[in-house]
Amino acid sequence: MSESQFQHARLERFYAAAMRLYPPPFREAFAPAMRQAFHDALLDRSLSRRTLIPLVLRDLVTSLAKEHLSTARETFSRPALLFNALVLGALATGLAFALNAIPQQVLRLGANDPQIAMATDVATALEQGNRNAIPQPDTLPALAGGAGKVDIARSLSPFVIVYDDRGQPLASQAQLNGKIPVPPSGVFSYVRTHQQDRISWQPVLGRDNGVRIAAVIQRVDGPHPGFVLAGRNMREVESREALVGQLAGLTWIGMLGVILVGTLVFGWFSRPKTA
Amino acid sequence: MVTGIAPAPPLSPAVFAILLSLAEGEKHGYQMMKDARAPEGGGVKLGPGTLYGSLDRMMLAGLVAESGLSDDERRRYYRLTKLGHSVLAAELERLDAAVASARSLGLLPQGGRS
Repeated sequence: MSESQFQHARLERFYAAAMRLYPPPFREAFAPAMRQAFHDALLDRSLSRRTLIPLVLRDLVTSLAKEHLSTARETFSRPALLFNALVLGALATGLAFALNAIPQQVLRLGANDPQIAMATDVATALEQGNRNAIPQPDTLPALAGGAGKVDIARSLSPFVIVYDDRGQPLASQAQLNGKIPVPPSGVFSYVRTHQQDRISWQPVLGRDNGVRIAAVIQRVDGPHPGFVLAGRNMREVESREALVGQLAGLTWIGMLGVILVGTLVFGWFSRPKTA
Repeated sequence: MVTGIAPAPPLSPAVFAILLSLAEGEKHGYQMMKDARAPEGGGVKLGPGTLYGSLDRMMLAGLVAESGLSDDERRRYYRLTKLGHSVLAAELERLDAAVASARSLGLLPQGGRS
């Protein structure tokens, strides 16, 4: 065997091995013809080896990518498969949304629990003329941190504030940044007509003072009308809500991953045999 | 089985070169590669992978068909279909109009090949 024939045989062996990289259906249909075309090209004296080899290498890279993409498109872009994946994806998204929203709502509603009783009890006592019901700072034990008042920014203890009919504070068990917080006048207007409101309230806006309060505001009727606000720092509830959000997000990503893998596996095993 | 949709002009250089090559008659793979490489065949350097990938899609689109002729077990011959002829004609008309326009703008010499 001459040197040239030996080189031809080696190149043809390399090309035959490269055929294994093509998707099986394409390889079965065209590999012999492609090898023949390469063989013919090697024998063509008008085409130098220095032109042919780079051309074939480039062609291998581009056509391999093209044929694999084409096979993947035929395998996975079938309408039924995509529709199923989309429906499952939508269901997973809805489920993750519910997993996020429902516990958050339960946590938020639960954050009002002691305040509802506190606000209504104090308001009822005030309506009955029991002025002793007005909370005094020292009615709170050690929770007050020694100063006798709840520091809303730091303490998780519930507290009560009583306002007069104009919304001016009369007595308070708590303060925020040294002041008694006062809700917006719209809240008092609403409570005047609806007797009670339950709100998430951020007395001082801004990132540094972003204390949020789960507040229940109860109307006080009678000879000395006014309002009772029972509140509690929502820090703990918010951290639980954030945890629920993270878990729901991870669940969502996990479900989408399972759907993606399931779709790919099902798509592969149910692929058209002609693909 | 023909299941694809015939490509609308402009055709890709590879598809155009293959159609032009087969317009002369039935040919096998390397003949088409050689024709395509020649300047009058489009000057497209086709490798076997691109050639047979294009032929596969062109067969699905009904532009070409295997002739059944074979002088070797591995050498397969292809021919243009009626649809292939009409798609090639439409592409040539489009290119002819572009060349005529270029001539009228003085971008190409009148009445001659550039």
